[in-house]
Amino acid sequence: MNKAFRKLSYPYLVWLTVFAIIPIFVMFILSFFNTEGLSFEGSSFNFNSFVTVADEATLVAIKNSFLYAGISTTISLVLGYFVAYQLFKSKIKNKLLILTIFILPMWSNLLLRTEALGNMMEHNNIITSLLARININFSIGIKGTPLAVIVGLIFTYLPFVILPVYTALEKIEYSLQEASLDLGLTEMKTFWKVVFPLSLKGVITGSILVFLPSLSGFAVPEILGKGNVLFIGNIIEQAFKNMNYSFGSLLSILIIVLIMAALLIVNKVDKEGETLL
Amino acid sequence: MEQKVIIELLNVTKKFDDDIIVNNLNLAVYENEFLTLLGPSGCGKTTTLRIIGGFEEANEGQVIIEGKDFSELPPYARPINTVFQKYALFPHLNVIDNVAFGLNNRSYDYLVNFYHLEEMPKKELKKKVKELIKASALEALELVNLKGYENRKINNLSGGQQQRVALARAIVNKPKILLLDEPLAALDLKLRQKMQYELKEMQRKLGITFIFVTHDQEEAMTMSDRIAVMDQGVIVQLGTPRAIYNEPVNRYVTKFIGESNIIPGKYLKKDLVHFMGVDFECMGYKFKNNEKVDVVIRPEDFDVVDLDKAKLTGTVLSIMFKGVHNELMVDVKGVTLKVNTYENYVVGEPIGLKVDPYEIHIMKVNKDEQGV
Repeated sequence: MNKAFRKLSYPYLVWLTVFAIIPIFVMFILSFFNTEGLSFEGSSFNFNSFVTVADEATLVAIKNSFLYAGISTTISLVLGYFVAYQLFKSKIKNKLLILTIFILPMWSNLLLRTEALGNMMEHNNIITSLLARININFSIGIKGTPLAVIVGLIFTYLPFVILPVYTALEKIEYSLQEASLDLGLTEMKTFWKVVFPLSLKGVITGSILVFLPSLSGFAVPEILGKGNVLFIGNIIEQAFKNMNYSFGSLLSILIIVLIMAALLIVNKVDKEGETLL
Repeated sequence: MEQKVIIELLNVTKKFDDDIIVNNLNLAVYENEFLTLLGPSGCGKTTTLRIIGGFEEANEGQVIIEGKDFSELPPYARPINTVFQKYALFPHLNVIDNVAFGLNNRSYDYLVNFYHLEEMPKKELKKKVKELIKASALEALELVNLKGYENRKINNLSGGQQQRVALARAIVNKPKILLLDEPLAALDLKLRQKMQYELKEMQRKLGITFIFVTHDQEEAMTMSDRIAVMDQGVIVQLGTPRAIYNEPVNRYVTKFIGESNIIPGKYLKKDLVHFMGVDFECMGYKFKNNEKVDVVIRPEDFDVVDLDKAKLTGTVLSIMFKGVHNELMVDVKGVTLKVNTYENYVVGEPIGLKVDPYEIHIMKVNKDEQGV
C-alpha cells in the first residue's frame, strides 16, 4: 500500500529535478562564466558577475525590492487584517462567499489586471474621458511614480493576507475571549492580549505570501513604474534579454538564497511549522 | 445562623428567539455558600450561569450583587470569575502567565487597591506589584497542587492539570463569586471524585461563594450546601442535598435525584396511606383525606423480611451484584419494585418486603406529570 503511494510521488520528483533543481544548479555554474547566452564557447571562469552586483543600479534595485515589498506588505497587513477581522466578527452566514468575492480579482490575469490598473493611473483614461464629457476635468496621473508601484503591489497581493488571517482568527475559540473578559479585560485589551497574539500565525503567513512575490516580481514595477522604479526582478529580466545569462543567474540565485533565509528564520521562530499550514 | 445574601437573581427571563430558556427565575445565593444548579442538558442551568457571569444579557429581570444592580455591566466589571467547561486556557501563554493573566492586565489603580499599596511610593510601585502578582500566581498554583508547573506549556498538560490551571486562574483574582460550568465533566471518574473533594475543601478554605453547574446528581450531592434542581428554565426545588433526596417535591426531582420507586397511592387519612392494595403507616404529611398521591420509596428503604411478617410479598425477577449490595427487581402484584439488600437471593424466590413509616415519602400528584 505504502509502496504504491510512494511511486505516485515520483512524477513530481522527476518534474522538480528536471525543471527546478537542475536549472538552479546550471544557473549556479553560469554565474561563474561570462557566456553569451547558453554557449560556453570562448567563455572563461571568472567573477565578473559578482562585481556587477556591486554596481549602483543593481544595489538600488535590490534596495527598491526590499523597500517596496516591505511597505506594501505592511500596508496590506493593516488593511487585510481589519477586513478579515470584520468578517470574522460579523454574523453573516455565508462567509465563504464573501471571502471568494475578496479574492475575485485574483481570477483575472495578472498582466491584464496590472495593465488595466496602469491605464487608470494615466492622465487620460476611460474614466476621465467619460467625466470630460459632462465637463468634469479631473485626473490624477500617477503612473510611473513610486506610489503607483505600491498601489499596484497592494492591489495585487492584498487577498493573500485576508485569507490566512481570517483562517487563523476562525481557529480562535470564542470561549478564550469570554475568559479574557471574565478576567477583567475590556474588549480592546482582549483583542490585543488574546485575539491578536493567537492570529499571529496567519499574519506571518500572510506577510510571506505578500513579501516574497512583491520582492521577486517584475511585472508590477515594469508596467506601473514605467521603468522609473526598478526591482531586482527587472534587472534579471534585462540581463537575460541582453544574453547576459551569467549576471541574471547570479541575481536569481541571490533571490533564492534570500527567500531561503527568510523561510529559515520563520522556521526558527515557529518550531512546529504551523505558520505555513 | 443569619446568612448574608451575596447575589440575587430577580425575575430573570432569557429567550433565544422564541424559546424561553430561563423563565422568570428567582434565586438568592448566600455568602460562602456552595450552590449547585442541577438539571439535564437544556434545562437552562448554563444560561443562568452565563447571565450571572455577564456573558448573556437577560431579556428581563435583574442580577443584584451585594445590593447593587449588575444586570447591564459587562463581565469585566463584575466581581465574578468563571471556570469554563472546556477550561478556555490561553494556548499562547505558559501556566504561570495564564494564572497571572487577569492581574497582569489590571490597571495600577486597581492593583494598588487589590494589594493595599496606598502608602507605597510611586517609584517602587511597579516592581512591587510585579513581585506581588508573581507571588499570588505561585500561591494559587500551590493551592491547586501544581507547584513546579509554572513554565509548562498549556498543551502539554493533561485534562486534570488544565482543569487545575483554570481554577487557579480564576481564584487568584479573589472574586466574591466563582462560577463553575461543569468543570469536571471531561475528567475520568477517579479524578473527578478527587476534584470534587478538593473543590469543596478549597471553597471552605477560601470563603468564596461557589455557583456550580452540573448534570451529575451525585456530584451535586457530594459538594453542595444547597442544590437548585432546574427544569425548563425554572427552579423546581431548592434545598440541601439531604432535603432534596429525602423529600423530592415531584416526580421530576425524584427521578433525577437517585433511584426510587414511585407508586401511585391514596392518602386515606392522617398518617395512613394506601398503595399496592395495602395500608401503610406514614409520618408527617398533610393531604386531603382520600386524595390521590404518589408514594416514593428509595430502593434502600425496603426491608426484606420473613414472608409471614411482610406487608408486601413478591417474587425476585433479577439480581444484580453492585459491590456493597445486591439490587433486586421484585415483582409485587404486577408492579416491579427496585430493592437494595445485603443478603443473597435467587431468581424466582418469593420475598417479603416491609417499609418503615418514616421511609415513606408522599408527593402531590402533578396532573401534567402523570405518566412521566
